[in-house]
Amino acid sequence: MLELRELEVSYGKRKVLHGINLNLKRGESLAIVGGSGGGKTTLGLSIMGLVEGTIRGEILLDGKNLVAVPEKALRKIRWNQIAMVFQNVENALNPVYTVLDQVSEPIVAHNLRDRYDAKRRAEELMKMVNLPEGRFLAYPHQLSGGEKQRVLIAMALANDPDLIIMDEPTTALDALTKVEIINLIRNMCNERELTILLLTHDLYAASMLSDRMAVLYAGRILESGFTPALLSNPRHPYTRGLIRCYPNMTTTKDLQGIKGMMDFLDTGCPFHPRCTQSIGICREKAPKLEENDGRFIACHRGGIIPLLEVREVSKTFDSVKAIDSIDLTLYEGETLALVGESGSGKTTTAKTVIGLFEATEGQMYLEGERILGRDKNFYQSVQMIFQNPMEALSHRLSVQEAVREPLDIQKQGNREQRESMVRHILEEVELPSTQSFMNKYPHQLSQGEAQRVGIARALILNPKLLIADEPTSALDASTQAKVVKLLLNLQEKRGIGMLFITHNLALARKISDRLAVMLKGNIVEEGPSNELISSPLHPYTKDLLKAAPTLSANVLVVPTNNKNDGQGCPYANRCSKATEVCFKEKPKLRSCSSHRVACMNLKPEKEE
Amino acid sequence: MHINYWRELTRSNFGKLGLVLLCLVLVIAIFAPFLARYDPGEPSLSILMPPSFAHLLGTNDIGQDIWSRLLCGAKNTLLVALGVGVFTTLLSTVIGASAALVGGLYDRILMRVIDALIVIPAFIVIILVAAYVLPNVWTLIFLISILTWQGGARLVRAQTLSLKERMSVYAARTFGANKLYLVIRHIIPDLSPILFAVFIHSATRGVFMEAGLAFLGIADISTVSWGLMMHHALRFYYLDVWKWWLIPTGLALSVTIMALVFIGHAFETAMDPRLRKMEQEDWQC
Repeated sequence: MLELRELEVSYGKRKVLHGINLNLKRGESLAIVGGSGGGKTTLGLSIMGLVEGTIRGEILLDGKNLVAVPEKALRKIRWNQIAMVFQNVENALNPVYTVLDQVSEPIVAHNLRDRYDAKRRAEELMKMVNLPEGRFLAYPHQLSGGEKQRVLIAMALANDPDLIIMDEPTTALDALTKVEIINLIRNMCNERELTILLLTHDLYAASMLSDRMAVLYAGRILESGFTPALLSNPRHPYTRGLIRCYPNMTTTKDLQGIKGMMDFLDTGCPFHPRCTQSIGICREKAPKLEENDGRFIACHRGGIIPLLEVREVSKTFDSVKAIDSIDLTLYEGETLALVGESGSGKTTTAKTVIGLFEATEGQMYLEGERILGRDKNFYQSVQMIFQNPMEALSHRLSVQEAVREPLDIQKQGNREQRESMVRHILEEVELPSTQSFMNKYPHQLSQGEAQRVGIARALILNPKLLIADEPTSALDASTQAKVVKLLLNLQEKRGIGMLFITHNLALARKISDRLAVMLKGNIVEEGPSNELISSPLHPYTKDLLKAAPTLSANVLVVPTNNKNDGQGCPYANRCSKATEVCFKEKPKLRSCSSHRVACMNLKPEKEE
Repeated sequence: MHINYWRELTRSNFGKLGLVLLCLVLVIAIFAPFLARYDPGEPSLSILMPPSFAHLLGTNDIGQDIWSRLLCGAKNTLLVALGVGVFTTLLSTVIGASAALVGGLYDRILMRVIDALIVIPAFIVIILVAAYVLPNVWTLIFLISILTWQGGARLVRAQTLSLKERMSVYAARTFGANKLYLVIRHIIPDLSPILFAVFIHSATRGVFMEAGLAFLGIADISTVSWGLMMHHALRFYYLDVWKWWLIPTGLALSVTIMALVFIGHAFETAMDPRLRKMEQEDWQC
């Protein structure tokens, strides 16, 4: 019904929209989301023909190109076929007319009915949007924000348009009013087969109101796809950033921003200065929106890249299988938390990835390339933070020497450059960069300071992948909080992919995008952190969650039973639901909703 | 654990005494040519003279000035101490550390070789060798070192095995360090206290063995050695010469060995937390 082809809008020399291609079918609802200043309102206004800049390209409404239509004819289309709910409720209404007059105005203006009929029609509409009857004759300043929004929606509906453009219809509203307005719009859509173009930065409204979603950034669409899939599995770094900084009850990870500021660029990908995975070509050429696995993505790297892939890796010590054919994928800029009890193979996994242990079987890939030998280049992109900072620092090296050591080994820069890098990285990990501090030895540091020195050492080579092996387990809670915040900030700034190993599920949920639960060298469950926490499937995950710290006292009984013959499910001897099969056969990791889980009893459990 | 060994050494009384004595011997060895009034090897017609102003400790059976020989003997003793110390420590380090780092079959073979060599009595082997070649000071250093490095190598190997598992060494590996870097920058510096202990220990043993062998007459006649002097002095036991010939020489030798032993003891105390604690408790009493 509505189709945009290579739409370009510029104000003077400043191009605000670049080559927008969109397609909207009748009865469908599309949300354009993105940060403010991204060009959403300009897009809406240009469809309405109200934009003051120059438009190039085509806007096709039922096959008719609106760009070529003269203003006079456009007026007929406006409000009869396309209506708009304007942003900024306070200014959209005229303060000197009653709202009833204003809702009937478009009907009268288009000479559809006479004044009396128009008022009856307006009353009908206002009833439909649930405006209390006593309010029909009120002046705008007498109405609340939610009521004004209803009036605006009634106004947009006045001439029965096919397409309604809604510009931030819910932004300024409180939570309950927002839900009311959202429900109202949903009901209307169901009743009237409306086509909606929703322009918003409110992801909640977008998720409730749209079938499809397009992400607009600095005048370009970076990603588009079906709403639920796009929100649960964002594949463009900007989309992920948007979701990460949107406070909601689903996400368990702390809020994270996107580094830098939005800037309209003439060359290259508009997002590249803020993108943490940009490469040379991103600066030179703007990527095209291309279909990739059921999603449209504009990214030279095909969206968020998998940074580390671990495929069926096993590690055996003598006859003990420390890790047993594990599969993991860690994406760029993501935190994957590996949780499990002690002895479950978490540290072995970390050390196998970094190369302190040689894998017995399986392959590992870094940025898509198979890791064969680990040379100095490998260690430039992969670094590790150790569990006990005091042990990992040599007692003979001062802070300065310890932090400089990676540079010395990698032979980067001359002495002065190295020293200035050391000072810079110390500031970045929030440590003093004074000479007196740099001359200190590890035994003169506190645990928290020592761990930060450890982090500084790991970060000075600017790695893409950071393996953090229980980096905070030796620290007290307040120091732990600071170190964790620091790591998250660094992730935001540099897009570090983090493999975070911890036994603390409560901590893991605050910092990770995805969780993998390990038990006796096997991954028994894996999935997005929020879902794994809210609806765990594996009995072991459930028990771990029960044992996770809360601030309310509750007595917990964790089953212990130690007759395990080594075969079968690794949790069989402690599982309350274990059957005979569980002791005999080892379950495989299977996909189940958005998780992957290895449990024999999963199906009966679902039927319950 | 970070220990300042030098401070620990100078803090203990034994350590201080040992250092002072060793310095005394060292000064004597260095300034011997200025302090000695006669050439220690030069015979004269005045033989077996009692002490006088011209000859502070008299002369020996071929008319050499004993005082001058005593002074110059310090040089020989210290040379042996240093030579055996350095050479043994080097051998121990190379063999012990490489066994620990390379591991596997190489390690196993070396350890069995050490087990075999450690039962060979060095003293007797050197006496046997001396039956064919009369050893000068350098051959003696070589022989003593080659026959006594095994204990040190075992110590170094054990320490290296524990050092290479340190997290700080793992951390350096994750920065891309190769084996050579790890050995030079991490393992050797952390081995240094052990190496110093091995050094002091073998130096002491070296001095002792050299003196012992010389005392038995196994030494090049031309060397000026305290052990050799005692060997000669004993031949004239029926005269009064032992008073100025035998006793001062024995004392000088004892002082040198004591100095080394004291330093070794103080150092061991600094290294061993258990000994350290006992020492501290003694102080408190």
